[in-house]
Amino acid sequence: MKTCIITGAGSGIGREVAISLSRTADFTNIALLGRNMKTLSETKSMMESMYKDISLWDINFQEPEKIPAVIESVFEKYGAIDCLLNIAGYTDPQPLLQTTLESMENTYKVNVFSPFMLMKETVRYMKKTGGKILNVASTAGMTPRPGWLSYSSSKASVISMSQTLTEELAEYGIKVYCVSPGRCATKLRKRLAPNEDPSTIMQPDEVAEVICNLISQSGNCLDGQNIVIRKQISKK
Amino acid sequence: MYSVLLLSGGKGSRMQESTPKQYLLLAGKPMIMHSLERIDQLDDVNEIIIVCDPSFIDSIKQMLHEYNITKNVVFVKGGETRQESVYNGLKAVQNGNVIIHEAARPFVKQNEFKSLIDYPEPNVIYGNDIPFTVLTGNSHVHGVLNRSELINVQLPQKFNANLLRKAHEIALERGDVYTEDSSLLYDVLKEEIRVIKGTDYNIKITNPIDLLTGEIIYRNYISNRK
Repeated sequence: MKTCIITGAGSGIGREVAISLSRTADFTNIALLGRNMKTLSETKSMMESMYKDISLWDINFQEPEKIPAVIESVFEKYGAIDCLLNIAGYTDPQPLLQTTLESMENTYKVNVFSPFMLMKETVRYMKKTGGKILNVASTAGMTPRPGWLSYSSSKASVISMSQTLTEELAEYGIKVYCVSPGRCATKLRKRLAPNEDPSTIMQPDEVAEVICNLISQSGNCLDGQNIVIRKQISKK
Repeated sequence: MYSVLLLSGGKGSRMQESTPKQYLLLAGKPMIMHSLERIDQLDDVNEIIIVCDPSFIDSIKQMLHEYNITKNVVFVKGGETRQESVYNGLKAVQNGNVIIHEAARPFVKQNEFKSLIDYPEPNVIYGNDIPFTVLTGNSHVHGVLNRSELINVQLPQKFNANLLRKAHEIALERGDVYTEDSSLLYDVLKEEIRVIKGTDYNIKITNPIDLLTGEIIYRNYISNRK
């Protein structure tokens, strides 16, 4: 009876991960956390729900201070938390001189403070049983571009948090993974590169496949590294 | 069921720090929490008695919440001596068996507590060989001890709580002073005490160099990351 929490499951990579995991025997209980219950419900309807307990939890990651109560409720419902997948992301790409403090804060609340709070609150329970945490960063956190200040710096923070916590949580038997997808056809990518043809870049299900492999047994020696996910696109 | 008496009253004067050593950070975590997290995982323990300076109770309570320690924790005021601190703690023990440990030994593992609990005798301590020569004397050598007869005593230790409490009361009446409990119990009541082998990793953090050594022990012995 293993339990997995997924954020950002309303669309894109998070949705594809949720669908993939529902088709495996890795987890019996899957908790989808997000603010848009309509899209989460749509994701749930796409998942294989037979033999699975799939629950939806209403939380806006612009309000990370509300995370402890949600995680406590998830633990009370399922009695354990074995896996946390921090996939939700936000971007508001602006050049420095047009980046407001509010925009910076909004980006960090979703991309940094919420994963931080989710990890902190989950580890309070997970440290007694061990488990896995996976954070989705971005290649933007390694090779930044002009105009992506808030997003790039927030994803660099995700990479650093993941590496730090790999060391800190090892004694509890908790493995922390970090993946940095390159260009992937999501709504978030559309805001970063509005003129790009999504059909020419990596698709969310391809990233989801890597994530699902990592949190299965095959990911045993890959924790603590920033794993870049890129697709070789044929030019033919 | 067992009570664990966790000694945390040290002043840390040898560490040359204003904060007692048991509250210093080791591998990024307050030293006392290393032991508490492992004790919290023991199914046979339903009570933790922390013997400490009352001025630290609030900060320890805060840490118990942050680290999600779920067992019942009781606080007892430390005494002027180790012997007095243990006696104060024993008076609060609700179970017939007690395990005594100290916060300054952060590298104890769950299986060391379990081995004590599972051992089919009431009074069991960890002891290691003495790997060096021990002389007697002060400014001049008066003699040498036979190290094959010596035991380097380690915590944790398991005792029959009622017998140990009784031994403490007798020692107190007599005014006898001890720095450790198996010697007190043996001396006062002549109780049989089993010695089992400890591990060299379970060091007591006493001097500043122990903190440096401790970081290496943590990385190689406690952390599961190789």
